[in-house]
Amino acid sequence: MAGDSHNQRLKPQPTELIDRNKSLEFQFDGRRVNAHQGDTVASALHAAGVAILSRGFKYHRPRGFLCGAGRCPNCLVNVDGVPNVRACTQQVRQAMNVRHQNAWPSLNLDFLSVLDRLQWLMPVGFYYKAFHRPKFLWGLAQRVIRRVGGLGSVDIDADPVTTYRHRYHHSDVAVVGGGPAGLAAALGAAEQGVGVTLIDDQPELGGHLLFNSKDFSGLPDLADGSGPEVASKLIQRVIESANIEVISGATVFAQYQDNLLTILHGDELVKVRAKSVVLATGTYEVPLQFQNNDLPGIMLTTAAQRLIHLYGVKPGNTVVVATVNDQAYQAALDLLNAGVEVAAVVDVRPTYSHGLEAATTLISRGVPLLTGHAITHATGKKRVRAVVVASVSPRSPDSPARRITCNLVCMAGGFQPANALLQHAGGSLDYDEKSGEGIPHDLPNGVYVAGEVTGVHDLATALLQGRLAGLEAARLVSGPGSNQEEIGRVRQRLNGLETEPGIIPSSPVSAPPVEAPTESRGKKNFVCFCEDVTVKDISQAIEEGFEDIQMLKRYSTATMGPCQGKMCLKALVGLCAQQTGRTIGDTGGTTARPPVQPVPLAALAGPSHMPVKRTPLDQNHRDLGASMVDLGPWQRAHSYGSPQEECLAVRQRVGIIDVTTLGKLEVTGRDAGALLDKVYTHHFSNLRVGRIRYGLLCSDNGTIMDDGTVTKLAEDRYFVTTTTGNVDLIEEWFNWWQAGTGSCAHVTNVTSAYAAVNVAGPRARDTLTKLTDVDLSAQSFRYMRSAQGAVAGVPAILLRIGFVGETGWEIHVPAEYGQHVWETIMEAGREFGIAPFGLEAQRILRLEKMHVIVGQDTDAASNPLDSGMDWVVRFDKEDFIGREGLKLASEQGPRNKLVGFIMQNWHVPEDGVPVVSGGKPIGKVTSARFSPTMNKGFGLAWVPAELAQDGTQISVLVNGVPQPAQVALQPFYDPEGELLRQ
Amino acid sequence: MFQIFAKNRMWRKQPLKHRYEVVIIGGGVHGLSTAYYLGKLGVTDVAVLDKGYLGGGASARTTAIIRSNYLTPEGIPFFNESVKLYEGLAKELNFNLLFNQMGRLDLGHTDSAVYGLRMRTEFNRILGVDSRLIGPKEIKKLVPSIDLREGKHFPILAALYHPPCGVIRHDAVVWGYGRGADRQGAELHPFTEVTGIDRTNGRVTGVETSQGLVKANTVISATAGWSSTIAKMVDLELPITTHALQAMVTEPLKPFLDKTISSANLHAYVYQTDRGEVVIGGGVDPYPSYSQRSTFQQMEELAANTLEMFPCLKNVNVLRQWAGLCDMTPDYAPILGPVDGIEGFILSCGWGSWGFKAAPVAGKRVAELIATGETPELIKPFSLSRFREGNLVNERAAAPAAAIH
Repeated sequence: MAGDSHNQRLKPQPTELIDRNKSLEFQFDGRRVNAHQGDTVASALHAAGVAILSRGFKYHRPRGFLCGAGRCPNCLVNVDGVPNVRACTQQVRQAMNVRHQNAWPSLNLDFLSVLDRLQWLMPVGFYYKAFHRPKFLWGLAQRVIRRVGGLGSVDIDADPVTTYRHRYHHSDVAVVGGGPAGLAAALGAAEQGVGVTLIDDQPELGGHLLFNSKDFSGLPDLADGSGPEVASKLIQRVIESANIEVISGATVFAQYQDNLLTILHGDELVKVRAKSVVLATGTYEVPLQFQNNDLPGIMLTTAAQRLIHLYGVKPGNTVVVATVNDQAYQAALDLLNAGVEVAAVVDVRPTYSHGLEAATTLISRGVPLLTGHAITHATGKKRVRAVVVASVSPRSPDSPARRITCNLVCMAGGFQPANALLQHAGGSLDYDEKSGEGIPHDLPNGVYVAGEVTGVHDLATALLQGRLAGLEAARLVSGPGSNQEEIGRVRQRLNGLETEPGIIPSSPVSAPPVEAPTESRGKKNFVCFCEDVTVKDISQAIEEGFEDIQMLKRYSTATMGPCQGKMCLKALVGLCAQQTGRTIGDTGGTTARPPVQPVPLAALAGPSHMPVKRTPLDQNHRDLGASMVDLGPWQRAHSYGSPQEECLAVRQRVGIIDVTTLGKLEVTGRDAGALLDKVYTHHFSNLRVGRIRYGLLCSDNGTIMDDGTVTKLAEDRYFVTTTTGNVDLIEEWFNWWQAGTGSCAHVTNVTSAYAAVNVAGPRARDTLTKLTDVDLSAQSFRYMRSAQGAVAGVPAILLRIGFVGETGWEIHVPAEYGQHVWETIMEAGREFGIAPFGLEAQRILRLEKMHVIVGQDTDAASNPLDSGMDWVVRFDKEDFIGREGLKLASEQGPRNKLVGFIMQNWHVPEDGVPVVSGGKPIGKVTSARFSPTMNKGFGLAWVPAELAQDGTQISVLVNGVPQPAQVALQPFYDPEGELLRQ
Repeated sequence: MFQIFAKNRMWRKQPLKHRYEVVIIGGGVHGLSTAYYLGKLGVTDVAVLDKGYLGGGASARTTAIIRSNYLTPEGIPFFNESVKLYEGLAKELNFNLLFNQMGRLDLGHTDSAVYGLRMRTEFNRILGVDSRLIGPKEIKKLVPSIDLREGKHFPILAALYHPPCGVIRHDAVVWGYGRGADRQGAELHPFTEVTGIDRTNGRVTGVETSQGLVKANTVISATAGWSSTIAKMVDLELPITTHALQAMVTEPLKPFLDKTISSANLHAYVYQTDRGEVVIGGGVDPYPSYSQRSTFQQMEELAANTLEMFPCLKNVNVLRQWAGLCDMTPDYAPILGPVDGIEGFILSCGWGSWGFKAAPVAGKRVAELIATGETPELIKPFSLSRFREGNLVNERAAAPAAAIH
């Protein structure tokens, strides 16, 4: 193309964002490209004459600069290894490495562009109609489809570290959008004395005013001068206001329930909770439909204006401006002033608005204005070279089409209000025939709208609407009546605005779609640029019965790509309405869902919040060479080498285990006992002080939730332990049943306050006696009793319980002394051969005692009756949680029961294998181990109730082969519990 | 092959009649599949009514994972039959459903998780479902992009590998069944809302709709998240709580992952579509709600949990987040079949997060029930009466990522 190798930089523009004194350099596909500070990748590439930025998703057609505002899919590139970066909003950094995506071997020569020639083979939904017969064909086709699909690629070895962080922010009024309406809203609210946060996605405030060279003189007190002048005055006032905080260059990507705005601001994600929200999000322009409307060099008028005014780049040499509205005339003038030859302005309407100043100027400067015309197609291979223009007027249907040479086409396909946030917030839209736009209808509480998002395109109205919205948003914060008079005044003026002298009546800038000439209804006429969906595709889909807009979307895939409908929804709805003979309002639209703009996963995730909890004894375990395992958030010692040796140490000498991770709750108050009676299946209010009782918690339907011990420390004070993973749930559960009862009970989670060890074995008493004055003799300190006293000089709660089946004490001490107590006990036990034991040894030991681990041996459907724990269920209590379910279960009798089993040969099954009969599963093994005491495999299993008899033969699957086992109902070790009581 | 150029209407538009033999409430995948299989059994005087467009409820929001690696002897054969039906469905409906049997890994990060996976594996295998427990080495081979570093908070110790698991184009299943039902004579009536159900002497006689009264001998409720609302029309209270399940999808990427990955501990599952997008789903929200608005908290959690498995996705953009309704039952299994005391009223509900994968088997077996009057063995365990009788199915462990947590 002409100028491909030339620098397209214009002379300095008054409103440009670039700093021409600062030069940068970056790589694009290995080629060095010059840029200025403030350039985007796309503006720099355009200045360097690069027209092709990407290749289409499906047909791999060349694509170039289209929207210039980060909305469309055309400029997705890989920047420094990050895929799918929008080149038109990505600022250039020195030495950045930009690479193309989705083309091989290069953007200019993409082998897969052969698909463009095969487009006739791929009508809409073709994949639903092909490849499925014979069946193997789909396997082959799918492999090909998978290989060619996708856009950017991920580096699977990338460094996982990210720098994103999260911040919370609270505000009285949040204003989204830094254009004229947003600025006026922020000022309106701020002058009422409330705190305002103004968030804008552009690097600088001002919105479209920044590149709007129209003269707004004549709006006496509202605005005066050109767009940039009006903007700079408003911005000055915003900056001076002490009540306004501005967050620029930040995208509000979603609005959630109760005015939670989520914002991406560089590498910070800000969550703003506002009392009221003003949405002044404006509109964006959309493309027109004609053959080859996707060629590089065909862009939106606003994109061309951005190139000129913000980056000082000349968009092309010769332009055809095609439009459905008045706005494009100003753009044509801007292009003319930037030295672009305007070959024609092609307006689909019979005429432009009366008194349109820009039109008059264009005529006076010799620009042909072709009203009642439209582009039917564009030609060119890698950049547009010419367009064909024909009349759309019904009066002259046969007027000859004409070809106009150009290397730039600017499209003004009308505006789409940026109302996604409003939709997130639950607002609804109404289609306005006059403007051809969906405008806000029902506003959610605390949400206000102003400016172009409401379908107005007139500065005075936008400014007044903004002010009104700001005042109303402030009133919601400071209470009714606070600024009632001013609100009334502004509203009145807004209503009478059109009659004010000096106001130019606003004209529809966004006309309803006009039927395009039939020649243009071709198959290279793109509606959806992301997914390469054409006008023809849409038309065929409707013929096939996909008349509902939602189904049409799903079948054609239009609006489902990276732009999420920003570029195509308007056209899609227009075409659907036209073909089905419905109004646009009745046709409806698809739903805007978060995020408005794509957000990286790392930004959403923020810094990792996956804390690991370590007990105060953690270092001791590691020093002893323990292998650690995760248990919920905790890390625990699995074993210190040999679990079997550890078991023997406990059975024959003395062992010590860190049980700090047990959940611990203190339940205090007059009615503490009553609360425990309510949630547990057993009695606790009648427990005597100093006694311990095993407790089982059931859910409403009688299935087991959790277990632990309950110790009565004083009349109004209980010490409760829960399983490691469940303590938070149980704490909530207690509070849930306590809330609103009016009784006096308090639940305090003291899990981390105490370190705890269990010292167990025949020499446990000998060991501990050396360290405490508490009388540990069998007569004075009996099984299931507790005491409080000093151990190793530290205040402790001693519980005589026996999970592992030996004489032993669970000792709870303040966490800060945990290490001291552990070390002192280890030292004291040395003469008795003390050994630390881990989780695995504990599991074997308790299994020998048939002690159940909730969650391991029981599941969401197990109840205490089936699990062999009927002795803890007290139906003599008036009520407890799960009573009704358990009553029903006890009446019906168990289907399955949890029983012990011993293997009849040397095999040891794994946890989780089925119990089988005749090749069918009839039960399951929940825990199985090798017992060093019995020298055999053994465990717990669920079996049908009729098999739950001592001595019944069952078959257990080991490596897929059934092996014989025998049911045992008594604990394998110390069945009478004599050792526990010694 | 030439059918790709055909422009045949998918289904007819017809006026709503005043009476049908069978009225199916709900034009999603379950309603349409039931209508289709009814047609195959010769029951063609059928109307499918939906308050919105066809397939616009849960069927539009599902992440469409098809698998049978369940836990219970009741659930495994049921879902296995569904997978088998899905395998032959494209051919049967003459509509490519883009079924991709990519295989799936359920990750185990802790000993107890591995125990649960082993239990499922063992029960799958003995009931003829292809599942195996694999270690990190094989995981790495199957999923090179997954983070297998040791010492992480959620290290990957093992995985349940279930090769037949697939992902399907969910809308295509809806359309394929819809077209199939239409061809067999059933009528599809979108935008026809049922507002009441008429009964005489304990027998259903018809439904009141936004388009007028429609008489019917049999009324099937296949309304996913709105089952409780429909049940109330016959004064029936279901043991169901309705929760939203949220999911999201990223921008398209070149293929890097061709397995479905699920983690119960992280409450997240991830796969890459044929188009290149990464679909990320989570657990159901912990509170009941009919709101289909998504939340930021869930988006944050899903993102963080996904990165725990795939840190390489850190700079990948999320494009869209949405929520669908799940009718959760106490035992994480569906409710299928007749209701004692309400003659002619058939339930197909309680579909939680396991509904889409069961559409073929549920449709087929419910159709069989209506055509023969006999409840097929396969769906007997899922009767509503099981809650009264205490015979729960207990499939919770097999809905790992989706369980209420």
